[in-house]
Amino acid sequence: MGNSVVGQADTLPLPSTTWKADYLQDTAVRRLVLEQYDRECVPLRRYLQFLGMDADSAQETVHEAFLKLHQHLLGGGDRANLRAWLYRVSHNLARNTQSAFRSSRTDSLPDVTVSGELASPAASIEQELLAEERNRLVRDAIGGLSAAQRDCLVLRAQGFKYREIAEVLNLSVSTVGENIQRGLEKVKELL
Amino acid sequence: MKGCEEVSHLPSALLIKAIDEELPGGEAQEVESHLATCDSCRRRYQALRQVSGRIESAVAARQVELSSEQRTRLETELDARELAARAKPGASHVVRRLSWAVAIAAALAFLLLVAPQWRQSVKRTGSAAAAQPSAFEVDGESFVALPYSNPDLPLNTSHIVQMQVPVQSLADAGIVFEPISNEVAAQDRSVLADVLLGMDGRPVGIHVLASE
Ligand SMILES: [Zn+2]
Repeated sequence: MGNSVVGQADTLPLPSTTWKADYLQDTAVRRLVLEQYDRECVPLRRYLQFLGMDADSAQETVHEAFLKLHQHLLGGGDRANLRAWLYRVSHNLARNTQSAFRSSRTDSLPDVTVSGELASPAASIEQELLAEERNRLVRDAIGGLSAAQRDCLVLRAQGFKYREIAEVLNLSVSTVGENIQRGLEKVKELL
Repeated sequence: MKGCEEVSHLPSALLIKAIDEELPGGEAQEVESHLATCDSCRRRYQALRQVSGRIESAVAARQVELSSEQRTRLETELDARELAARAKPGASHVVRRLSWAVAIAAALAFLLLVAPQWRQSVKRTGSAAAAQPSAFEVDGESFVALPYSNPDLPLNTSHIVQMQVPVQSLADAGIVFEPISNEVAAQDRSVLADVLLGMDGRPVGIHVLASE
C-alpha cells in the first residue's frame, strides 16, 4: 500500500484507545440515563400532573428532562443526587410551559382506572371508589394551597428530604419546613 | 420533667419535623420523651402523620399511562445526540488532524478486514456530497458510509479525522472514483478526506475533500 506520510505527524495518543475510553464512558452515561428513566419516569410525571399539568405535557416535559440529563452527564456534570436534579429540571421546564402550574383546582379529574384493569368483585370496586373519593378530597385540598406549599408537600410525599426539596425548588431548607408545616395544617383542616 | 403545661406543648412545626426525621438527634429525643407522656401532643402527632399518609396515597394513586414507545423514542434521541456531540468540533470531542501514517492502523487495517463483506459500490464524482442511500450527514457534513464490521456497536459517537486515504483502499472498500476531474487520478494516489470514526475507533464514513 502507498504509505506516503503526508503532513506532520502531530500528537500521537494511540487514537483507538482514546476512542475506546470515550465509547465506554458514553455507554455508561446512556445506561445511567435509562436506569434513571426506568426508575423516575412515573413518579416524575405523577409529580408534574399533581401540580396541575396535563398528562401529555407532563410526558413531554419528562422526556425533555431526560435528554437534558444525558447532556448534563455527557458534559461531565455532577452525578450526586440525580433524582433531585431531574425534579428540579422538570420543574423548571414545566414552569416555562404555558399549561403548567395553573391552579391545580382545575385539575380535579378523577384518577380514572381503565375499566379493564378492574377484574375485582363488587366489594372491592366499592373500596376503590371510596379510595378514589378520598384521594380526590386530598387533591382538592392541595389545590387550595399556595404553589410553594403544594410543591413542597408533593415532593415530601414522594420521599424527598427537606434538603432535597430545597434543591429542587431553589428554596432555603427553613422555607421548605415552613411551607410543609403550613400546607400540612391547611390540608388537615380541610379533610 | 417538662410535663404537659400549655406552654411547653410541642409546636406543630416540631412534630412535623419529627415525623419527617428532620430533627437532630437531641431534639428528636426530646420530642419522643414528650410524646411518651403527653396524650394531647401524641394525638396531634398521629393526626399529622395520618394526613401525611393520605397525601402520600393520593400522590401514589395518580395514574400515569406508560408506553414502551416513549422509552424507545428516548433511546433513539440519545443515540442521535451522542453521534452529533461526538462529531461536532467542540468541548467534549476533538477533530484531530492526523496524518495517514498515524491513523493507518485504525483505518486501513479495518478497511482491509471488512472490505469483503461489503459489496455495495458507491460511485463518487469529485468531492460533491452525493445523495446516495448509503450517505448520511453529521453536522451538515455528508459522509459516504463505510462498511462497518461490528453492527452490534451503536454508532452513536464519533470523531472526525482528516487524513490522507489511499485511493486503492477506498476502491477495496467499494468506493470508486471516476476520474472525471484531475482531482483523483492514478490508483496509487491518495485523497484528503474527513473520516468519521465510530466509537470503537473504526471508520464508519468518509467525505472526500480533495486529492493530494
Ligand atoms: Zn404536650
